[in-house]
Amino acid sequence: MQDLKILHDAILNGDAKTAKAKTEQALAAGVEPMKLVQEYMMPAMDEVGRRFECSEYFVPELLLSARAMKAALALIRPLLTATGAQPTGRVALGTVKGDLHDIGKNLVAAMLEGGGYEVIDLGVNVSPEQFVAAVKEKGVNIVAMSALLTTTMPSMKTTIEALKQSGVREKVKVIIGGAPITQKYADEIGADGFSESAAGAVTAAKKAMTA
Amino acid sequence: MSMFDTKGKPASTEGRKENTLRKLQRMNTALRHEEPDRVPVSDFFWGGFTKRWQQELGLPSDANPYYHYDLDWIVTVPNMDPWIRPFETLKETAEEVVVKTGFGAIMHKHFEFPMPEMRDWETDTFEKLERATFDDPHDRRRFFEGGDNQIAGVGDGFQRNTPPWIETVKSLRPDFPVYGSIIEVSECLTRLIGQENALLWMGEEPERMGAVINRIGEFYFEMAKAEIEAGAGLLDGFVIWGDVAYKKCTFMSPKYWREYFKPWVAKIAAHAHAAGLPVIYHGCGNVKAIFQDYIDMKIDAYNPLEAKAGMDVVELRRRYGHGIGFCGNSDVQVWETGDRDAIRREVLRKLNAARGGGYIFQSDHSVSSAVSGHTYDYIVKLVREFGKYPIRLGEFEETI
Repeated sequence: MQDLKILHDAILNGDAKTAKAKTEQALAAGVEPMKLVQEYMMPAMDEVGRRFECSEYFVPELLLSARAMKAALALIRPLLTATGAQPTGRVALGTVKGDLHDIGKNLVAAMLEGGGYEVIDLGVNVSPEQFVAAVKEKGVNIVAMSALLTTTMPSMKTTIEALKQSGVREKVKVIIGGAPITQKYADEIGADGFSESAAGAVTAAKKAMTA
Repeated sequence: MSMFDTKGKPASTEGRKENTLRKLQRMNTALRHEEPDRVPVSDFFWGGFTKRWQQELGLPSDANPYYHYDLDWIVTVPNMDPWIRPFETLKETAEEVVVKTGFGAIMHKHFEFPMPEMRDWETDTFEKLERATFDDPHDRRRFFEGGDNQIAGVGDGFQRNTPPWIETVKSLRPDFPVYGSIIEVSECLTRLIGQENALLWMGEEPERMGAVINRIGEFYFEMAKAEIEAGAGLLDGFVIWGDVAYKKCTFMSPKYWREYFKPWVAKIAAHAHAAGLPVIYHGCGNVKAIFQDYIDMKIDAYNPLEAKAGMDVVELRRRYGHGIGFCGNSDVQVWETGDRDAIRREVLRKLNAARGGGYIFQSDHSVSSAVSGHTYDYIVKLVREFGKYPIRLGEFEETI
């Protein structure tokens, strides 16, 4: 639908005002919320991710598109909840204990939401116990952890251990990322996925869920 | 205890020691891409590392790696806060403190955690940023008076009433080549408005934000000039602290960086050079897309060259020859393993970049508290042994 392509382009171009206005218009015209998400909004964020991966987009563009997506999602989410529609996945996201950096985590949150995931952002300095609580109490099926420092990355392993000891490890997939993090480290600590960048978080989450 | 709190004995009237002049010659020879007696070595140390190093090596609580290892250079930081004022304490307990700084940043420092958290910023809208006016960049208090400042005061440690910058310079001068330093716009924006707002507003209003970047660039250029003047005759070099990249690439497009950020780095570097000071630029992350630009600006050495961001001095030397010096790149994640074989391999391999000069050996960012004191001790010994010219690295020799 040509008219709804404006929504797609607004998200792609980081135009939150137009994204919100077009979403309002579409919903008022009776367009199904899930159609908007699946046929226009998620493909827009997929394209944002692709452009980011090949260095056509950089962090400013990613942030603008994420904001436009969020503006549109804010109108749609209550309607999806009311119909019982389920997100692609429910993610508990946080920077690990002892680590107070958040920009990477925030970008991952934006990309995951753009990918149709519901994100429960636990913030920074998140203890293993807090991740476990999110799994037990909020129906989370993905735990996504970020660390910027080599001295805080061990908390990722501790969190995975805590998930095992609490008997919930098999209920979730664990994906990790951050400056010092590598695939090798992810394999060593038993994580299910790793992403080099925020834009890759959606791919990592999808891969982990289907593995 | 923190990264920038090394002070020497109170300024003495004796001239510089012979050994210090040798260190200065070593540094300058390396930066001229000639071979000195040996590869210069130094680093930036977390307060947590220094404490651990003291305990593990049975050293007194005032022992300092710069003095203990007679390292080859040290950097100092003046008061670069836009607003020169004491920290406003918002919360203080035995475990943590929350202060508002001279950047208007609300900083949370938990004393058990290595890095502080920036929680909020006084300058929280674009309009406020555009209207913000700062204290005089030439204000003498920045250089000649003590007081709180965010960069020296809230980092891996927490320090109030940082001594006057000039007294720190004078106290270190007898024993070390001493570099002054300045932040460039990116480092200011992170502290003034938060990195997320900085990048968002660059995307939202690129030209208006560009005007702000130019205004802040001018501010710190003036401050750099004032610092070089205040330290005239006392400084041996100048560091420019930047932060425009991360693991993947630059935060903003190289095109945007070149239009708005690069000119100010170029101006500061040119002014330092005109004052006879070599320039080391510090910028984390993967800067491969703009590395040639630093060569074009005649930066004398690039630091820290994070291995975790894919930077490798041996490859860089192959690609750029002696177009630029390197300072850093030894992978601290290898240091943290404590595996002597792996560390030896890592250190010696990186020394390949030192052939023909142009290399200062350091970690690829800073020495964290996950590095053991014995490991650092071993590393310095390795560099001192294998970093003597002519460089001979045996099985670790690589063709450049």
